[in-house]
Amino acid sequence: MKSIRLRLLKWLVGPILVVNLGAAGLTYLLAWTPAQLAFDDGLRTAASSLAVRVRGAGPAALAGTAPEDNTGEATWTALHGADGRLLAGTGALPAFARPGMHDATLHGERVRVAVAEVAGEGGPGRVSVARTVRARQQVRAAIVRSLVLLEVVFSLALVALVWFSVGNGLAPLARLRARLDARGSADLAPLNDDGMPRELAPVVDAFNALLGRIAAGARAQDEFRANVAHQLRTPLAGLRLQLEWLAARHAGDPETRRSVELMLGANERMIRQTNQLLSLERAEPNRFDRLRLAPLDLASLVAETIQSFVEQAAARDIDLGFELEPAPVNGDRFLLRDLVDNLVDNALRYTPRGGRVTVSCGRSGDGGADGGGTVLRVEDNGPGIPAAMREGVFERFVRLDEGSGTLGSGLGLAIVRDIANLHGASVALTEALRGGAVFTVTFSPSA
Amino acid sequence: MHVLLVEDDAVLADGLIRSLQGHGMQVELARDGLQADLLLQRNPSSTTAFAPPGQLVVVLDIGLPGIDGFEVVRRLRARGDTTPVLLLTARDAVEDRVRGLETGADDYLVKPFATPELVARIRALARRNAPKSTVLTLGNLVFDSGARRARIGERALELSAREWAVLEYLLQQAGRVVSKQQIIDTIAPWGEDLTLNAVEVYVSRLRLKLDGAGLSLRTIRGFGYLLEAAAAS
Repeated sequence: MKSIRLRLLKWLVGPILVVNLGAAGLTYLLAWTPAQLAFDDGLRTAASSLAVRVRGAGPAALAGTAPEDNTGEATWTALHGADGRLLAGTGALPAFARPGMHDATLHGERVRVAVAEVAGEGGPGRVSVARTVRARQQVRAAIVRSLVLLEVVFSLALVALVWFSVGNGLAPLARLRARLDARGSADLAPLNDDGMPRELAPVVDAFNALLGRIAAGARAQDEFRANVAHQLRTPLAGLRLQLEWLAARHAGDPETRRSVELMLGANERMIRQTNQLLSLERAEPNRFDRLRLAPLDLASLVAETIQSFVEQAAARDIDLGFELEPAPVNGDRFLLRDLVDNLVDNALRYTPRGGRVTVSCGRSGDGGADGGGTVLRVEDNGPGIPAAMREGVFERFVRLDEGSGTLGSGLGLAIVRDIANLHGASVALTEALRGGAVFTVTFSPSA
Repeated sequence: MHVLLVEDDAVLADGLIRSLQGHGMQVELARDGLQADLLLQRNPSSTTAFAPPGQLVVVLDIGLPGIDGFEVVRRLRARGDTTPVLLLTARDAVEDRVRGLETGADDYLVKPFATPELVARIRALARRNAPKSTVLTLGNLVFDSGARRARIGERALELSAREWAVLEYLLQQAGRVVSKQQIIDTIAPWGEDLTLNAVEVYVSRLRLKLDGAGLSLRTIRGFGYLLEAAAAS
C-alpha cells in the first residue's frame, strides 16, 4: 500500500533539503571569502613593509622577525635573489617566481605565503612571508560548525512542518473515510459533498456514480424478483383453480380424483417454494430495513395467518389450536408474518395425521418483573426431533425426512432462523412434555 | 352478486370465472385496464350495464396491459365511484400492498390465493355495499335478516336474539375464520358484559340447531370458528 503522506514527504522534503544544502554552501563561501581576504591583506601588508625594510637595511632586516607572534601563528620569512638563490631567512620556503599569494607546506604545516618584489642593489629580489593558517582554520571550522548545526535544526523543523501540513492537507480524506465508515451496509444514498475540497469532488462524484449503479442494480434485482414472482404465481394460481374445478367435477371418479389431488399437491408445493424463495431473499440481512420495524402484537399477527392454515390442518385432520396472549414486539410485520407462516407450516407438515398443533404467544416469565421478553411457541405432538439433529434443522435444504414421503423444501426453518436473527430473537427447538417438538422464538425485551 | 373480473392471464381468468360462477356469482371479464375502465364508466348510469347499482364487486389484477390496476382504481375513485375493489396481485412487495390500499382499493389478495378466501372476501365486500336487508343463503339455510326469519329447507329455524346475532355474523363472514372476540365485539358492541364462554355456549346451541343445514361450523381451538357450506358429498 502506497502512502500519500510518505510520497508527499519525499517530494517535499528532498528538494527542500537540496536547496538548503546549496544555500548553506553559498553562505559558507560568502562568510569564508571575506575572512580569507582579510587574512591575506594582513600578510601582504607584512610582506610589503618587510620589502621596504630590506631595501633600506639589506638582508639583515629579516633577522628581527619573530617566528611566533602574539596571535598564536608562526611566521617565517625568506629573501631570495632574482635568480632564486636564498639570500637570507629560512631555507625551507621555496622560491616563488611571482609576487602575490601562494599556498605551501612548511615543517609539515600548511602556510599561506605572501611574496613581494624588492628592488635592491644586488638586483631585484623577492621577500616571502609565510604564516601558519591556524586562525583561519579555526574561523572556517566555526563557520562550518554553525552552518551544519543550523542546517540540521532547519531540516528537522522543516520535516516536522511538512509532516503537519501534509496531515492537515489530507484531513478531508480522513473526513471522507469517516463518512464512509459511518454508513450502513445497505445505505446506497449518494455521499454528501458538503465541506469537501474541490480536489476530492471527482472522487466523491465517481463514488456516487458507483453507488448509483449499485442502487440501480439492487432495484433491478427487486424488479427481477417481483417479475419472477409474477411470472410464476399467476400461472400457478390459474392452475390451482383449474385443478380445483376438475376435482369437483370428477369427485365421483376415484381414479381421476386421486390424480387431480396429486396434481393439486404438486401445485401447492410449487406455490410454497416460490413463496419461500422470495421470503428467503426478503430476509437477507442486506435487504433488512430497520426503519420498517414497528411495535406490533404477535397475537394479532398470528390471528391473521390462521385462515390460511385452517384448510391445511383440516386436510390432514390435525387439531390446530391457539393460546394467544398479548405479545408486543418491535418488528417487521411482513417478515414476522413469514416467520409465523413457516413455523406453523412446518408443524402441520411434520405432525402425523390426527395430531395436534398448538400455537401460543405471550410475555415470557410470570408477567416479568424484569420487563420480560416475548415468546412465540409452536408445539406439536409428532415424533419430535432427536437432540443430535436439532441444530441441523435450521440449515438450508436440510430435511430430516428424506424418503419419508413428506414433501418439504428444507427452507422453512432456515427462513425462521434468518428472520429471528434479524429481530435479535433466538429460536430454540426442544422436546415437548409428551414428546413432539416445540419451537420457541424468544424476543428480548429491548427488541 | 356481480363480479367484474379484470385479469389478462387466460388460464387464471377462465378458472376464476368457473370458480366464481360455481359460487353463484355473475362474472364479467375484462382483459385489460382500458376495457375495465370503459365498462366501469358505463356502470353507474347505464341501463345496459352488466350489474345493477350497488351489486358489483371489481376483482382487479394489478399487472395489466395498457393501464395497470392502480390506474383503474384511481380513475374509478376520481369519478366518485365507490364500487368495492379487490386487488389481485402476484407482487407482495410491501410498497405494493400499501400503494394499492392508498389508491382506494378496498382489499388486497396475493396470488396464488385459496379459493374460499377469495370468495369470502368478495362476499364481504359485496355486503358492505349492498342494501341492509338481504337474504343470506348458505347450504340449505336461508337467512332473511330483514324479515328476521330463517329456515333450513322448508323448516323454520327458531333462534334467540343472541343466537340470531351470532349466526348473522358468522354468515356474513362465511368462509373466513372468526375469532370469539370479534363475535363479542360485533354482537355486543356497547361493552355489554359478554364472556368468551357465553359465545361458546351460543355457538354450541347453534351447532345443534343447524343440524341438517348442510353447513360446517368448525371450531378453531383457542381462537374461534369457521362457518362454511359443507363439502359436497
